[in-house]
Amino acid sequence: MIPPIAGASDFSEKWDPLFGPMFEAAGLTGPPPPFPRAPSRGVPEKGGPHAAKTPAPSGAVHKSTKTIGLMSAAFETRTESLTASTGEARDFFALLKPRVMSLVIVTALTGMATAPGTVHPVLALAALLAIAVGAGASGCLNMWYDADIDALMSRTAKRPIPSGRILPSEALAFGLTLSVGSVLVLGLIANVLAAAMLAFTIFFYAVVYSMWLKRWTPQNIVIGGAAGAFPPMIGEAVVTGNLGWHSLVLFAIIFLWTPPHFWALALVKSGDYARAGIPMMPNVAGPAATRRQIVLYSLVMAPVAVLPALMGFGGMLYLAVSVSTGLVMIALSIQVWLRTEGAAATKACWSLFGFSIIYLFLLFAVLLVENGFGLMWALPKVLG
Amino acid sequence: MSDQRPKQNTPAPFSPEDMARRRRRSIALALVLAGLAIFFFVVTLVKTGPAILNRPL
Repeated sequence: MIPPIAGASDFSEKWDPLFGPMFEAAGLTGPPPPFPRAPSRGVPEKGGPHAAKTPAPSGAVHKSTKTIGLMSAAFETRTESLTASTGEARDFFALLKPRVMSLVIVTALTGMATAPGTVHPVLALAALLAIAVGAGASGCLNMWYDADIDALMSRTAKRPIPSGRILPSEALAFGLTLSVGSVLVLGLIANVLAAAMLAFTIFFYAVVYSMWLKRWTPQNIVIGGAAGAFPPMIGEAVVTGNLGWHSLVLFAIIFLWTPPHFWALALVKSGDYARAGIPMMPNVAGPAATRRQIVLYSLVMAPVAVLPALMGFGGMLYLAVSVSTGLVMIALSIQVWLRTEGAAATKACWSLFGFSIIYLFLLFAVLLVENGFGLMWALPKVLG
Repeated sequence: MSDQRPKQNTPAPFSPEDMARRRRRSIALALVLAGLAIFFFVVTLVKTGPAILNRPL
């Protein structure tokens, strides 16, 4: 294990005394064990609670530890030497995770469109903007907290904070300002329930997932996936002021979609996650168990994705799309399960990861078109 | 007489390119603030209804 880096600010030490008693009071297992904190700037300890079942080749750990120490030190030095950043507007926009935000916009809008009620189009647009900014703010807070491990992973090293374009303090202020602002605006233009749900979503992603689950348990993205699944419920709350079955089904679809989507990526990038000390499922349970779970989640998710058609808020077009693309998702998952070695395995993972994005987008886009543009009423319904 | 005051640890001056970046950022922030003002104006009109314009002078 590498020694702590001088000057490294570990915010978890400040948060644990606050949230530890809260988790214990809720009957949970208490504050995270020592694992998540120390390895966040290095590799998991040998034989630790989440030590990888597939040991690294001899010498690899030592080499990577040294490299990580240098990279982390470089990150700390870079950010500490800056007194004012030269980040541009696009860097601040990148902090909001625009790709995640676009998915949030589609899913929240679908939640509004499928809700039993109507809302003024201008207010719907304004509420959507507030939800998108709130989601972006939680992404920004996530990047602020994870800047140390982002610097260690090839996929995230070029993000604005680890690359030194934006100061951590700037990102924190930006994220907090947008969080408070988006919740207040949504409360003013929609209702208290929608604002409270947005606030909870931001808290869940930035604190429960980023600060607690991500570095602690291999179920991190399973539980944390709820944060990404809330937007349709917020959308329904904007329209009706209540929560109903429609948005609950949409929540379930996103929630069940998250594990196959992320684990396909984690299988390919398991080296990155191991270097950063993130206990992703492939690093903890092993690739074989992860592949089995991907198939299981896909087998549960595909039928659940058909439910909107059976419940009457998805039409024939949705039925056709959800069944056909659901079958493709299952087929790609089985391919990931069967192809375990070499380039074929990597290709299978990327295929599942890429298609899973198209799959979710298609499901919600079709629901949106059918409900938002009245197409469902022009097409025969599945039931009634 | 020499100046005995301790030297301030001042940050390095920005290069012209850095200044240009910060200027672009300031312009973007101004545009966002202007957009927010319009946003709140329109939302207020919609929430309150057209009667907000019908008031005795």
